[in-house]
Amino acid sequence: MPFSFIEIEESKSRVISFIFLFIILFYFVTAYLILVVIENTIFERVELSKALFILPSFKHTLAALTLALLAAAIHWTISTSNLIEKMSLAIGALPADPKDTYHQYFNHIVDEVSVAVGGLPIEAMVIPSPGMNAFSLQDFQRRAVIGVTEGLLARLNRAQIEAVVAHEAGHIASGDCLSTTVNCSLSEIYEEVLTRMKAGMRETKGRGSAVVLLIFIVLTVMTSLSKLLKYFISRQREYRADAIAVRLTRDPLSLAEALKLISRNWRGSGAQGEKLESIFIVNPRFETLDEEEGLFADIFSTHPPVNQRINILLGMAHLDEKTLEENLKNFTRVSPVALAEFKTADNLGTKKWFIFQDQKWQGPFLWDEVSKLGWLTPSHWIRMEGINAVIPVYQDEDLQKIFKGEKEEEEKLLCPHCKIALDEISYEGVPILKCSYCAGVFVEDNKVSRIFIREDNVYSKDIEKIGQSIFESKDKFRLNQQDAKTIWIVDCPKCQKKMRRQFFAYSYPIEIDRCIFCSGIWFDKLELEILQYIYERKDKFFDTEKSF
Amino acid sequence: MVITLVLLIIVLVAMVWAFFTYNSLVGLKVRIENAWSQIDVQLKRRHDLIPNLVEAVKGYMNYEKDTLERVIKARTQAIDASGLKDKAQAENFLTQTLRSLFAVVERYPELKANQNVLRLQEELTSTENKVAFSRQYYNDEVRTYNTKIQVVPENIIAGIAGFQKAEFFEIEDRAEKEAPKVQL
Repeated sequence: MPFSFIEIEESKSRVISFIFLFIILFYFVTAYLILVVIENTIFERVELSKALFILPSFKHTLAALTLALLAAAIHWTISTSNLIEKMSLAIGALPADPKDTYHQYFNHIVDEVSVAVGGLPIEAMVIPSPGMNAFSLQDFQRRAVIGVTEGLLARLNRAQIEAVVAHEAGHIASGDCLSTTVNCSLSEIYEEVLTRMKAGMRETKGRGSAVVLLIFIVLTVMTSLSKLLKYFISRQREYRADAIAVRLTRDPLSLAEALKLISRNWRGSGAQGEKLESIFIVNPRFETLDEEEGLFADIFSTHPPVNQRINILLGMAHLDEKTLEENLKNFTRVSPVALAEFKTADNLGTKKWFIFQDQKWQGPFLWDEVSKLGWLTPSHWIRMEGINAVIPVYQDEDLQKIFKGEKEEEEKLLCPHCKIALDEISYEGVPILKCSYCAGVFVEDNKVSRIFIREDNVYSKDIEKIGQSIFESKDKFRLNQQDAKTIWIVDCPKCQKKMRRQFFAYSYPIEIDRCIFCSGIWFDKLELEILQYIYERKDKFFDTEKSF
Repeated sequence: MVITLVLLIIVLVAMVWAFFTYNSLVGLKVRIENAWSQIDVQLKRRHDLIPNLVEAVKGYMNYEKDTLERVIKARTQAIDASGLKDKAQAENFLTQTLRSLFAVVERYPELKANQNVLRLQEELTSTENKVAFSRQYYNDEVRTYNTKIQVVPENIIAGIAGFQKAEFFEIEDRAEKEAPKVQL
């Protein structure tokens, strides 16, 4: 057993105490330097003749040390409390949504890996970003989190995601996750303050006093020093986590594939996360240093060269790079979402039923119509158009929904146009609300990006045509913003506030209604599909039109 | 005088070492038990899920009755099995029948389009992987323990205290050992 929990505990406390000592040293040096500066600028003038340079007295040094201890303690407490909440906020990660099919599936994978490391509980989080990356966090209460980006979930297959999660679990199991998390959290405070100060200074245009300047300089020095601390966390940890991942999944090829795919794509996990690179599987910023070897690169980079990692993994699998490329070319991904799921909306729109009522067959009815028949019971006999079999309603999967829906009806949101209850449907695995009558959908703000990132949807010819033509003539579209009547049409189903009619974006001239309060979006029938169609083909579209 | 002192120290050191070794062996044994209970949890979960899956696919698979029956039979056998060897064998058989069921499901497009079936299938895949992982963890723990009680000098303590070799939860076919996955 290369990692027993006792060994982990030991190595953990060693690294952590080292980090704490480093901080104390760091504050002491700073305090001492300030002391030197003060004594030399203020007191020197009095006795200029005595010496050119005065070293602080023992008493003052002691005071500096006490101050440093105090500052280190405060800094430590602030940055290690609510470690996981703070860090996940900083990188924009959210807990996995239990209603989302993709997130359920990710949750399963995390659970599996947690079993593989011997039942260590791990929480799953997702960053709503189209980039591809993964991270792990751990705090002193041994609460562990593994997170991936939405883009990674949408583009890798199960085995590859499993390998990535196992790599992150490797960080947790080998104990370096905690020290990295603490480390990142420690330097994060400074960087935040520094960015804010920089912004403030720009506004006041250098009218700040000398004290501000001094603080600024101190902070800059500290940030650069704390960066150095990050480099102490050796690149070896990534190799080690890779090794543990292979030991857990016994599947080096999948990890190699995953690394290759991640390194090819945009790794950015959102602008905020960039400074915390060491918690990610692959550095979110592309740094040439990362791809180099040698002593200098070993010291000043947080991640080893991806190619080197891939080569080691391929060595374990007894394969070469060519086979990997071949594999990736023939790479197919099985989506966790049933493909027919989206079509049900269309199917339900075209399926028709005859219903046996009052001694004769009535109909044909569309699903929308059937669902509004007051007299229908589950035991009515029905016959679907074009099919001869006669079955009771309770055996028909589509019609079952009518009665299931009725039971669950507790304070459902209402369609802003038709004022009937909205049904929760799964759109590419994302739970959104749909009106069964007008086919409009309400999508909460944080779910829009998930829909855009996933590419499971199969578009009908009509949508392709509409999307194409909208895109081609997008410059001609104008919204009449003057007339208040045309921009404040509907109320948000969720918060009952006004929704503003606007284009989704300048390059995507689809008219949508966006709530001014919760930013939720109401899409009328097919608007979401068309928008998504254009979005998913944006590379192709924008390529042909360089002027953009 | 000096000799007695040296002897005393040697005896003392030996005793301390014996205590530590004994404790670490007990610790390893507890870990094995823990790992075993993990397997048990996952196996139970699998047994609970199978009837749901069978129920969900039954309506569609009129011509595959015997595949379904085999799965149900394998499940009953697995539940009834007692003893590590029998259990491992029954579970392996269940894994195989489930795999053939998944292969059959693959042939029915209606089933692949059914979110309910898909969810169950995903659930079962996940449980399969968990079974495989918990078994892997258990076997790793057993390997560590078995090695420890056999190497010199730990084997002395193990012999005196009566530590027995633990049994592996064996996997029969080698292909499975390489990739503990259900292909979907």
